[in-house]
Parts: sequence; C-alpha cells; structure tokens
Amino acid sequence: MDNRLKILIIIPAYNEAANLLQVVENIRRHCPQCDHLVVDDGSTDDTAALCARHGICAVHLPINLGIGGAVQTGYRYAFKNHYDIAVQIDGDGQHDVSYLPDLLQPLIDQEADIAIGSRFINKEGFQSSPLRRMGIHFLSFLIRLCTGVHIYDVTSGFRAVNRRFIRLYAGQYPVDYPEPEAIIAAVMQQGAIREVPVVMRERGSGSSSIRGLKSAYYMIKVSLSILICRITFGIRR
Amino acid sequence: MLSVKLMVTLGIALAAYFVLILVFLKNRAIELRYTLLWIFSGIVMGIMLLFPQAFRAFINLLGITSTMNGLFVFFIGVLIMLCMSLTSIVSRQTNKLRTLTQELAILEKRIRELERSTSPKRSGQLPLHDFPQIDPDQDQGIDRQGPLTAQGHGDGYDV
Repeated sequence: MDNRLKILIIIPAYNEAANLLQVVENIRRHCPQCDHLVVDDGSTDDTAALCARHGICAVHLPINLGIGGAVQTGYRYAFKNHYDIAVQIDGDGQHDVSYLPDLLQPLIDQEADIAIGSRFINKEGFQSSPLRRMGIHFLSFLIRLCTGVHIYDVTSGFRAVNRRFIRLYAGQYPVDYPEPEAIIAAVMQQGAIREVPVVMRERGSGSSSIRGLKSAYYMIKVSLSILICRITFGIRR
Repeated sequence: MLSVKLMVTLGIALAAYFVLILVFLKNRAIELRYTLLWIFSGIVMGIMLLFPQAFRAFINLLGITSTMNGLFVFFIGVLIMLCMSLTSIVSRQTNKLRTLTQELAILEKRIRELERSTSPKRSGQLPLHDFPQIDPDQDQGIDRQGPLTAQGHGDGYDV
C-alpha cells in the first residue's frame, strides 16, 4: 500500500458498541498506516464512552442523521483534513479489512474513482439470504438499465473513493439507504467504478435495520430514487 | 352567480385572513418570504370576490358548471400548492440542519483534541460528553449541568 497517501477509514456506527472495538482493533492490526474515524450517529448505548476509553478517533453527531448523514460526515471530515482516499466500512463487523489493499489498489493505480467490495464476484463467504440477494440483483439490473454499468453488489457498504468523490460526497450524499443511489450519482458524474471481490462475514451481533415491511419500503424507495436520480441528472446535463 | 350573502361572508373571511397574516408578521411569528404565497393567494381570492363574472368565466373554461364546485376546486388547488411549498421549505431546512449537525460534530471533535493537547494536566479528564457510566445511587456529587456539559449534546444522549 502506498504510504504517502492519506487514507481515512470511515466507520458509521449507531448503537454498535458490541462490535465497534473489534472493528477498530482489526483496522489497527491490518492497516496501521490508515487513519480511522468512527461516526457515532447519536448512539444511545455506550459507544461514546467506549471510544473515549479506547482512544478511538470519533465524531459524535448530536442528532441521529441516519446512515447517509453519518457517512457524509465522514466524507466531510476527510475533505476538510485533505485525505486522498476515504474508505467506508460498516460498524457491525461484516467487512474484513484484510481486503483493504485489494480495494485500494484500483484507486492507487488511478484506474478507478470508486472501488466497491463485492461479495458476489467470487461468491465466497456470507452471501445474504436468497430473498435479499434477489432484491440486490433487481437493483443491480435497474442500475444497469439506467446507466449501462453493471455492478453486482450495489448495496455493499465496503467502498473506497478518491479525492474527487470525497469532495462530491461531502457536498451531497443520499440520505437513507444511500448505497445504490450513491453508485448511480457517481456514474452520472462520470466516475469510474471498479468492483473488487471480497469475502464478507455475517454481522457480529445485533440485527440488520432492514427487516419485514421495511424491506418493501427499502425496495420501493431505492428503485424510485435510482429512477429519479437518472432522470434529474439527465435534465441537468 | 355568487349570492350577495356568500360574497359578504367570503369578504369578511378574507379580511380576517389578511389581519391574521399581518398579526403573524407583526409578532415576527412567520418570515415575510414564507407569507408571500399566502398573500398572493389572498389577492387572487380578493379579485375573485370583486369580479365574480371573471371567476365564473374562468371555471366555465375549465368545464366546471357549478360556481360552488369551482370555488372548492380552486381552494383545494391553492391548498395543495401551499402544502408543496411547505414540504419544500421543510426539505431545505432538513438539509441545512444535517449540514449544521455534521459541522458541529466535526468542530466538537476538534475542540476536544485541542483541549487535550493544550492542557496536559487535564489530559486524564474525559472529553465533553463522555461521562463515566454513573451509578444513580451515587450520582450526587457530579454537576452534570456544569460548564463542561455541552448543551448541544444533552438531547442526543439522554433519550
């Protein structure tokens, strides 16, 4: 990994005190040259105390902004502090940071603006439930239909972006369920996206925020936002 | 045709409407730019009252035969427009609030680090909102309202 580059790992966390320490320890072990920033999204558990106790670099949002707002805080911080690359990983321990060099390589080689860690390329590790996979494939198809770009794991929250997209995302980032929408916004900004095969784990503890009726809302909202994003960018151009 | 009775009722209602807007503006309860749409719809309503023939011709043009139906359609249209403008105002404010929250959190982190680096004797002290887990039975001596309790953080963590 290139040591001259300033790299920030953004970890959005809402009530993830149980997994957070493990995630940060992994980062410290595997990528000691990278900085990390936990974005505590107004957690009500002892995330703040945990960060202070273990010297974890963290910003604490006084209001819960949701995943989009939390990740954007990280990009804002990265932009203000002149980072060259920002990586976002989930605070629930799903993402294995030992894959970080692979994820960063396309950015370091300037082959891509955004690199997405994808669990569906080599189909190894945790693959999510069949129903969720179907949803992800549908969103992937929709993005392909709208932009012509084929991305397998559109909901992956394991991604790295370069300085150009740090600036763009710091200014504007989708609010809720932002991952697929951020991809289409990037494609519309003529960003080069590269998928990198990674292996994901099942989340450490707790459960995903998208369950039951929320899944239906998720699918409708995300599909609609992809279509609207496509149409409005078409108008703006 | 609007009956004279109805015209008088609507006239009084319209006058009350304008007085209400003025009272709100005088008390600075609403900003002038947000009342522009209200004032504009009031003026349109006034014109409708003063020139009912013009209104009648207008609703005939839309294919509405009854004046009362025309009135309802018109007011529902105005209300939908007002709701849309309110939604747009709320969305814009949500955006601003999000940006403010993010900037505040980043600044708070900077202050925390500066405090730590400039006052070495206080380095053992916990940052602003990282109060130790307090046993309620022994929570007598700590002044949680003291100057170090960041006001802005109270809401987020004391839920």
